[in-house]
Amino acid sequence: MASHRVGETGLSDSGPSHHHHHHQHLPYSVFPAFNPPNTGFINQEGSAFDFGELEEAIVLQGYKIHSDETKLPLYTTVPRPAATLDMFPSWPMRVHQTPRGSNSSTDSGSAVNAAIASKPETHSHIEAESPISSNSRKASSDPQQQQQEAIYRQQLQNLQIPTQQLEMESEGGSPVTTGGSSHSQQAPKPFSEKKKGIGSTSEKPLDVKTLRRLAQNREAARKSRLRKKAYVQQLESSRIRLTQLEQDLQRARSQGMFLGGGGGGGNISSGAAIFDMEYTRWLDDDQRHMAELRKGLQSHLSDGDLRVIVDSFVAHYDEIFQLKTVAAKSDVFHLITGMWTTPAERCFLWMGGFRPSELIKMLSIQLDPLTEQQVVGIYSLQQSSQQAEEALTQGLDQLHQSLVDTIASGSVNDGVHHMAVALGKLTNLEGFVRQADNLRQQTLHQLHRILTVRQAAKCFLVISEYYGRLRALSSLWASRPREAMVSDENSCQTTTDLQMVQSSHIHFSNFG
Amino acid sequence: MHYQQSESWATYMPTATSCQLLERIERLASENAVVIFSVSSCCMCHAIKRLFCGMGVNPTVYELDQEPFGKDMEKALMRLLGTSSPVPVVFVGGKLVGAMDRVMASHINGSLVPLLKEAGALWL
Repeated sequence: MASHRVGETGLSDSGPSHHHHHHQHLPYSVFPAFNPPNTGFINQEGSAFDFGELEEAIVLQGYKIHSDETKLPLYTTVPRPAATLDMFPSWPMRVHQTPRGSNSSTDSGSAVNAAIASKPETHSHIEAESPISSNSRKASSDPQQQQQEAIYRQQLQNLQIPTQQLEMESEGGSPVTTGGSSHSQQAPKPFSEKKKGIGSTSEKPLDVKTLRRLAQNREAARKSRLRKKAYVQQLESSRIRLTQLEQDLQRARSQGMFLGGGGGGGNISSGAAIFDMEYTRWLDDDQRHMAELRKGLQSHLSDGDLRVIVDSFVAHYDEIFQLKTVAAKSDVFHLITGMWTTPAERCFLWMGGFRPSELIKMLSIQLDPLTEQQVVGIYSLQQSSQQAEEALTQGLDQLHQSLVDTIASGSVNDGVHHMAVALGKLTNLEGFVRQADNLRQQTLHQLHRILTVRQAAKCFLVISEYYGRLRALSSLWASRPREAMVSDENSCQTTTDLQMVQSSHIHFSNFG
Repeated sequence: MHYQQSESWATYMPTATSCQLLERIERLASENAVVIFSVSSCCMCHAIKRLFCGMGVNPTVYELDQEPFGKDMEKALMRLLGTSSPVPVVFVGGKLVGAMDRVMASHINGSLVPLLKEAGALWL
């Protein structure tokens, strides 16, 4: 019995004397001893702190103290400082008899051997059982105790299953030598000891509930570990994909082709891809024109020279409208959904582009001073563009309604016919985008007519800078700080957007 | 091609010369200040109608899908304009303005309103 006492209370001549103090305290003595020795283990596990297992240990510790007065010898005689370290049942417990023998009495040591011998089907977990079963076997002369032991063994089986699973997934769990001086090695064994301790000493119903709860906690901890692993894997694969995409982009750019946002085949039509490529080139041109305008205004060029620059700017915009006409023929949805623009621009999108009346409104503040005639001209331009926009919007609304009616109507038999009709109606979308672009083009031309050369230069510079800022806003928005654990696709784009911000030449100077 | 000399024959013979068609178009166009040739199901025609109504003009609209010789007139208009879609087409004061893009361009550059005023379609 003396040997068992040793196991229970940690008091032993052979064991370190300071263990004694731990066992006298309440379960919360767990904490001081817990953290330092187990950081290594935690890192190995790669998981967050497993409260499930901590709680188990605390509960078990509590039970253990209650059970001190019982005579059932359910603990191994291995005294360890870290009854506190009974957190990690997932580690397999290989029973090494020799160190055990040094710490425990010879009785249990031999009993252990016997137990191991007697259970040939054990895997490493059931080795953990062995001291306990040996102990219980020792005391199993009493039939009542035998019955109880059977129950404990049953409960232990239930508990072993989740811990087995835990063990299977925890990589790098090294075999544990019992009675070793390393704290982490001692961890699993006393835990299972104490598990059995509970079984032997407490009443059955309470025990089952507690055990179930502990098992559930373990499950939860396991699941969170799995989730974290999955997340890390996802991050890794995303990172690899990102580098691959960037490489592809570099390669494609150098070859003069732009593969579009998709990268992976088929989610962008060829017409859209071509347009995106042309648009990217156009944006670079836009920067160039903007720089020319700014330089021209600052260096006070003659009107003639400035006129050349302004005319080239107008031609630059004519070019994009022409490109959009071609793109509308091949992929009108790409234009109308604004997938070729940045998100902030898309927010203000009207029929596949900017809204002319909005532009005029923005400009009218910036364009002072104007002659009275010019003021009238700008005002009537705003009016007429608004009327034209309204007319086109109403026409498009009617198209929407007609499409809805076509798609919604039609029986099963008529299905194909109605689809054909719907397809026919969809072709009208191209006309609307075309007219909207026409409106934009005409508005810019009219501005060019109303304003003097100098005013026009300033006006076009304002326009370019405005859209440049809108594009920059999109980049900044995309790269704003977000929560760490949010795993979304956008995290891949963040890098590229940041690069965009850094590489784009944004002059946040005053307009003109 | 059949040559129909009289109007009455035209009602029995469904075809008409392109000359006759154009004449018909011109005649219809000059009867009112603003004449729009449209097709009832066409959404762009709806847009152009809204444009004029929004300006306070009351246009005369001929729905070619409901007009006699409508189909032929559509073809004639297509040839006249050189575009793929015959409608909408706008005549102001008997003179051809054009299809939607021309109408919008003339509105933006400020030439449409004087034209309307001249034709008596707009007052103010």
